[in-house]
Amino acid sequence: MTDGVRLLPQRLETDPESIQRDLMRLVLTIIELVRQLMEKQALRRVDAGDLTDDQVEALGTGLMHLENAMRELREQHGLTQSDLNIDLGPLGTLLAE
Amino acid sequence: MGEQGRYLYAVCRGLTPEAVDGIVGLSGGRIDLVMEGDLVGLVSPVDLDEYGEDGLRRNLERLDWLEEAARGHDAVVQAAAAIAPTAPTRLATIFLDDEGVRRRLRERRDAIAAALDRVEGHEEWSVKVLTRVADTEPEPVPVASSGADYLRRKREQQEARFADDHDAHFVAERVHDALVPVVSASRRLSPQDPRLAGHEGTMVHNAAYLVHRDRSGEFVDRVQEQSDAYPGVVVDARGPWPPYSFAMLDES
Amino acid sequence: MSSTAVAPAASDNRAIALVDLLDRLLGTGVVIAGDVVISLAGVDLVELRLRALLRTIEGDA
Repeated sequence: MTDGVRLLPQRLETDPESIQRDLMRLVLTIIELVRQLMEKQALRRVDAGDLTDDQVEALGTGLMHLENAMRELREQHGLTQSDLNIDLGPLGTLLAE
Repeated sequence: MGEQGRYLYAVCRGLTPEAVDGIVGLSGGRIDLVMEGDLVGLVSPVDLDEYGEDGLRRNLERLDWLEEAARGHDAVVQAAAAIAPTAPTRLATIFLDDEGVRRRLRERRDAIAAALDRVEGHEEWSVKVLTRVADTEPEPVPVASSGADYLRRKREQQEARFADDHDAHFVAERVHDALVPVVSASRRLSPQDPRLAGHEGTMVHNAAYLVHRDRSGEFVDRVQEQSDAYPGVVVDARGPWPPYSFAMLDES
Repeated sequence: MSSTAVAPAASDNRAIALVDLLDRLLGTGVVIAGDVVISLAGVDLVELRLRALLRTIEGDA
């Protein structure tokens, strides 16, 4: 037997009316996930102390803009943070390993 | 009908054919008893098309099949555990014939007997501790004067979350410590993925407790006391269940 | 806010959630692999393998 039983795959059922909204939520969920991963990794790199001040500044500014842009995108599409259903629980552990 | 095998649900002690008369097996099938000494294996005949190696490989990845099989298996285990000490087996424990079942009972006699002794008169309770949703709402984007300042504030937010988690774990340990004196055994399980379990908040404690039937009132009272003492978390207790976490018979 | 940790109705409390039952009945855990099949008008079109994507991102970090 394989080393895990997977609830696979989740199915996103769409139709011509809802497809744009559903795809947008999916895409924003993925972007938000990547954004959170980038943020965690950036903090790790800053803590590691091997970045120049300019790099730290650039990272911070970039991430700040990204977070603001994400919030605007979410608001445009009427989605809250919890709609994107991100919990880095198990994936957060992946990063730490 | 294709080749048939035997689906083993659990091993009990002291069960008679009359006692399992009303119990219904998977897909509405009957329950047969396979005896070996004082050990009684509860089995049903099943089609190997569905439950053989190839069939299982297909079916174990289908949530609908999995759910039906798990519920069917659990129904038999629950009925048996209500009337006799019961050691459940893993889902889809299949043998080619009754002799195969008997052989397993013979080979594992000591371990099975020990498991039955352990759980006799006991029930399992599940206790989970979760943070409340408000704790896990994300902070607003910090207003920062520079990129470096933004990162600094982000780290503060992260550390505050860590502290909250830390507090929740501390509470979980206190809850666990309060329950240990009234149980016969406990077992920590992995916290569950919210996408599977559907909970809000973070699960910081997921444990199974083996509670003697005579002490279940005391156990429930203690759980309620802990829940009242720590309003910052959710204490979610379920039971009584068959002793799945304390008498599981598997390959190891 | 006061709450009852243990649901008062015996039947509610005895019910085993599927995720709890599967955790116990399966020798291994049940995981979400993070894959999504996008289906339009009942036709499966695309399978998105999120975990593979994330592994790629991590690998570069």
